[in-house]
Amino acid sequence: MPDPSHEPLTLIDELIAQQRSLTAVSKFARAQEHHALPAQARHYRDLIPLSKPQAGQQYAFEVALDKCSGCKACVTACHSLNGLDEEETWRSVGLLHGGTHLQPIQQTVTTACHHCVDPGCLNGCPVLAYEKDSTTGIVKHLDDQCIGCQYCVLKCPYDVPKYSERLGIVRKCDMCSSRLASGEAPACVQACPNEAIKITLVETASVSESYRSKTAGEQVRKRESEQDHQAHFPTFSPAPFLPGSPNPSVTLPTTRYTSAKPLHESLRPADAHELKPQCAHTPLGIMLVLSQLSVGMFTTERILSLTSSDLIAPLRPALTLTALVIGLAALASSTLHLGRPLGAWRAFLGLRRSWLSREIIVFGLFTKLALLYTGAIWFPQFASPTIETTLGWATALSGLLGVFCSAMLYHDTRRDFWRLRWSGAKFFGTTALLGASMTLPILSTASAANPLLPLLGALTLLFGTLKLATELPILRSLQAEDYSPLHKTALLLTGQLGLLHRCRIALGVVGGVILPILFALQLTSSVAISPALILLEAIAITLLCLAGELIERRLFFVAVQPLQMPGGVTA
Amino acid sequence: MTPSTSTDKPRSLPDLLRNHDGKLTQELVLRPGDFGLGKVPARLKPDATTTVVCGFCSTGCGLNVHLKDGQAINLTPTTDYPVNLGMACPKGWEAITPLHAPDRATTPLLRNAKGELEPVDWDTAMQVFTVRFKAIQDKFGKDSVAWIGTGQICTEEMAFLGALGKFGMGMIHGDGNTRQCMATAVAAYKQSFGFDAPPFTYADFEQSDVIVLVGSNLCIAHPIMWQRVLRNRNNPEIIVVDPRKTETAMAATQHYAIAPKSDLKLLYGLAHILIERDWINRDYITAHTTSFDEFAAFVKPFTPETVAPDCGLSVDQLLHFAETIHRGRRVSFWWTMGVNQGHEATRTAQAIINLALMTGNIGRPGTGANSITGQCNAMGSRLFSNTTNLLGGHDFLNPAHRTKVAGILGIDPALVPDQNSWAYDQIVQGIDDGKIKGLWVIATNASHSWIHQSKFVEILKKLDFLVVQDMYHTTETAREADLVLPAAAWGEKEGTFINSERRYGLVKKISKAPGEALADFSIFKLVAHYWGCGALFRDWTSPEAVFQIMKRLSKDQPCDITGIRDYRMLDECGGVQWPLAANDVEELNGSRVKEGSITTLPHFNPSTLQPVAPLPERRLFEDGRYFHPDGRAKFMFESPRNALEVPDAGYPLQLLTGRGTSAQWHTQTRTSKSAVLRKLYPGNIYIEINPADARQLGIRAQQKVAVSSRRGTIHATAFVTATVQAGQVFIPMHYEETNRLTFPSFDPYSRQPSYKACAVSVAPVVG
Repeated sequence: MPDPSHEPLTLIDELIAQQRSLTAVSKFARAQEHHALPAQARHYRDLIPLSKPQAGQQYAFEVALDKCSGCKACVTACHSLNGLDEEETWRSVGLLHGGTHLQPIQQTVTTACHHCVDPGCLNGCPVLAYEKDSTTGIVKHLDDQCIGCQYCVLKCPYDVPKYSERLGIVRKCDMCSSRLASGEAPACVQACPNEAIKITLVETASVSESYRSKTAGEQVRKRESEQDHQAHFPTFSPAPFLPGSPNPSVTLPTTRYTSAKPLHESLRPADAHELKPQCAHTPLGIMLVLSQLSVGMFTTERILSLTSSDLIAPLRPALTLTALVIGLAALASSTLHLGRPLGAWRAFLGLRRSWLSREIIVFGLFTKLALLYTGAIWFPQFASPTIETTLGWATALSGLLGVFCSAMLYHDTRRDFWRLRWSGAKFFGTTALLGASMTLPILSTASAANPLLPLLGALTLLFGTLKLATELPILRSLQAEDYSPLHKTALLLTGQLGLLHRCRIALGVVGGVILPILFALQLTSSVAISPALILLEAIAITLLCLAGELIERRLFFVAVQPLQMPGGVTA
Repeated sequence: MTPSTSTDKPRSLPDLLRNHDGKLTQELVLRPGDFGLGKVPARLKPDATTTVVCGFCSTGCGLNVHLKDGQAINLTPTTDYPVNLGMACPKGWEAITPLHAPDRATTPLLRNAKGELEPVDWDTAMQVFTVRFKAIQDKFGKDSVAWIGTGQICTEEMAFLGALGKFGMGMIHGDGNTRQCMATAVAAYKQSFGFDAPPFTYADFEQSDVIVLVGSNLCIAHPIMWQRVLRNRNNPEIIVVDPRKTETAMAATQHYAIAPKSDLKLLYGLAHILIERDWINRDYITAHTTSFDEFAAFVKPFTPETVAPDCGLSVDQLLHFAETIHRGRRVSFWWTMGVNQGHEATRTAQAIINLALMTGNIGRPGTGANSITGQCNAMGSRLFSNTTNLLGGHDFLNPAHRTKVAGILGIDPALVPDQNSWAYDQIVQGIDDGKIKGLWVIATNASHSWIHQSKFVEILKKLDFLVVQDMYHTTETAREADLVLPAAAWGEKEGTFINSERRYGLVKKISKAPGEALADFSIFKLVAHYWGCGALFRDWTSPEAVFQIMKRLSKDQPCDITGIRDYRMLDECGGVQWPLAANDVEELNGSRVKEGSITTLPHFNPSTLQPVAPLPERRLFEDGRYFHPDGRAKFMFESPRNALEVPDAGYPLQLLTGRGTSAQWHTQTRTSKSAVLRKLYPGNIYIEINPADARQLGIRAQQKVAVSSRRGTIHATAFVTATVQAGQVFIPMHYEETNRLTFPSFDPYSRQPSYKACAVSVAPVVG
């Protein structure tokens, strides 16, 4: 055995030093080569159009499903050739499966941005950070314009824009527009071993025609009525797009999926049964509840004024100030949601199409009016009663309009659990319930004998009951057992989110029903009740209701089922 | 830089309102990459590129690594590499990412008194290594220390390990994880052809008019070979034999969803029909094979009527299958793990070989009985790991071979063992029996991948000393080790891999190994030095020096590579297939074009414009000469046996295992380190179950279920799908739990484990 005390160390050092020197360049690196076209061009020459789109045309992906074997090289190539962040992917590969016992079918589906004719992302963006190129039709995201509100993520039925925590913005596929501009194929097209993806020119009018014309609509309705058992798909897709994918008539996706085999409509996505809680968007939930509380208080104040201006008058300063502060807190919370809040001032740009723009503008107006109104209350010497009353109504009405915009902005995402029937009922329900319940302790502080108190208590009871009555029917969807979005929402609410949901119900029942009953009974009974107890109860009602609504709103975000392209097997 | 076309046009809104450019936009700007590349991300623009052969599977794709200051920053598949023609699967695209994982082993780790692995320096590690193994050998005999190697390191390293283990350290028993993937093909070819010689070249995929895939989900397991199938312009019949409706079965023109483990009967049934109808090539049989008459007599009882029911097919289906083979002018037969991992795998592979021989579908373009390999360097292991074969495809039992090899290496012939190694399962048994006390595991994750895992993990505890040499210190096996040696990975060292079609490809150093991790080659050098046998390896100075030794070892063998000048030639040629004897090369300098050979990619030296290499695609047996002494191929056959464990009342379902997705590799030690790859497969174990079985068992889609075999119970998520037949379930092999279920049975000739047949029961998990 060699003496390991000196020589071996030398060998170890030598080997470690050797390990650290990189030799590939000196030994093998290729000389700088200059080519007119990249070497890879020989593989993709026929996969991109020879000419630029003419008027009325645009570029589109065309996927030959028969060639897509599910290798997913397209996903990684897109990632590497576009220099995306470690976890960022712009393309994905899902799986449709089904068929019969004798003829089982599986079909992998590669998908990226569909560069829609009527893009949901673009229409929803409050700051016009999306641009549909007038020549190529490519839907491009302007990264430096984005404020990170992520509304496009909710608006896109295909789950395309991806939010980056690192950057505070979303990013998405731009069909490698700069590659196309210089005659190169997009990364995914270059990398598909089977030539399953290519770029074609499509007539935008014909895309519209196939998905939005009367006949297309009738076809959809006909198939829907014929095939009730297909209801588990997010929304039914007319044949020309892809089974198991969202209804293309909404945004007019330009991607064409082709197959020599008929793609049976019974095919369902491999992830159709997946129950996945969605992002909670906590600042948004708080913003919604607080803004509705604020609007609710201003509205309650107006309505109480109608019944008895004298009784409410002394409480106005406290009421309006509280409502104002809560409204401002809502505003602050909403900015916490934004990845880049400094650009939020541009939110007026999208007013023409985006409900988010409208919500931002209207709530902006509401807070200004609320400020003026509160000022007028606190400094009556500067405002005549008429101005005060006008401001009061303007505040309440603008606030209610804002709540409506909030509801519409979720409704507009076409997620079933966010339809107006749910979001409208919830948002106005919260406005009414919290508006009434929050006014209770303020009224109670002034005087337990205020005759408005029983009325307000009764209103709280009414709103509290109605709120639960409009919310709980979601559980009826459990019976559907069809893995429709609402069924999955109900499954989440009773399964993974069960504890939270039960808490929400308990808070709603105690804070919005039982306590208000006790409260009203006590006030109307002949026995004298200590004002402190009344105040305590009022505060309890307020806090329990508020907590209940905050949880309800968390569930609103977490339990919703997004629209998306077929996903893969999940476990 | 203009980031978008729209900036060229008049803007509808001023910049103040709408930012078209800025820091964020610039992040994604693309610039021409030069070096024949198209546009690349501006911040990842290379200053050099070089082609490296991929280190995952045996396809052996060329990856064009983008370098900056010598370090890999990105990669694209090499456009003109004759294997992959500019394409790669997700693993290839992400090949660099796993090198930067935080759990890389960066320093040797030694288990301390508290039982924890603790960093030590190389000197300590090597001293402990030597002292402990020598002590075991002194007490229990030289053969009480063994190694389990791999198909994942370079050929030169395998040769070093094999020579060091057997000639230097006196071990008798060493095997590799190639036992789990390729042993069957090796045994089958050796007996049928006289040498372990897969005859094909990938161009055969393009030249067939009938492609028969047995037990191969090519689309997922070898996507780049599937690419070659799709480049076939003959509108081929694609026949897939697989119990499941896999991606490949979906793309086939004929799918035979046979009953699991009925493949041998099916193949004999096909042979019966072909012979019965005289759909065979008698001239070829007479000129180039032996034992055909015995074979014909043997398959006589395998009539369609007896075979079809056992296979779960109809007689018509069987006839149609046989007729398709008959009608094909260029029929190629391909098999992978569905065949190799079976209890009668060798005979099954040979039944495929028999079909090719009897129909004369071999030695011509678009034909062959072709085993698709698993690991990137399984073939390197087959030829040079010094385990089953003596270096260079020689025989330990042959004294002339021992003398020859010893002579070439300049060592005492007495150092060359005159007995064969135990196979993997026998080594494991040896540990269990107390005969093996020390084990050195190199670049494989046995505690995850070995069949009947729980037993294996128990057996491992019986060792006195376990050394694990790996790039990660977190593998299931490394966590059990007494000593962990940190290895540099693919891309951090040099050497060659040999792919499925016998092509030597080059691995280069394009990334720095972390910490004090060393190339396996350097570790072996270090071990030799500390062990005191460094003198034996005086000439083994570098991988390329060993490559020259390998050349000498291969001389006059079927795997002769004396015509490959050096690494540079491999690099310039896009790899070279064996054999290439020195005199072949002289002949080549006329650069002739043969009918049916691929000629689109001539290998010219760019500076001299002289041909430097053989035709890029070559196949074996074009002259009908096989490697048996009589020059003939041999029909091999044996009566089918039932699997040792079949479903019964207690365990009514047959468990199949296999590749999950193309983004997963084996035990996932590497593929799980890429965030992108992780997005491409389910993170947790799942089980595919037929809707009929699910209904009967009360299992809902996506529900947690308990899967039990006689060896254990695991929990998995149910994926209810008709692509798996009723009575069968499928679980991907990549999840650690899978092999807690599998049943340890082995093919008697190849000793390869039968991973694809065990009986299980499935029940919903309540709560």
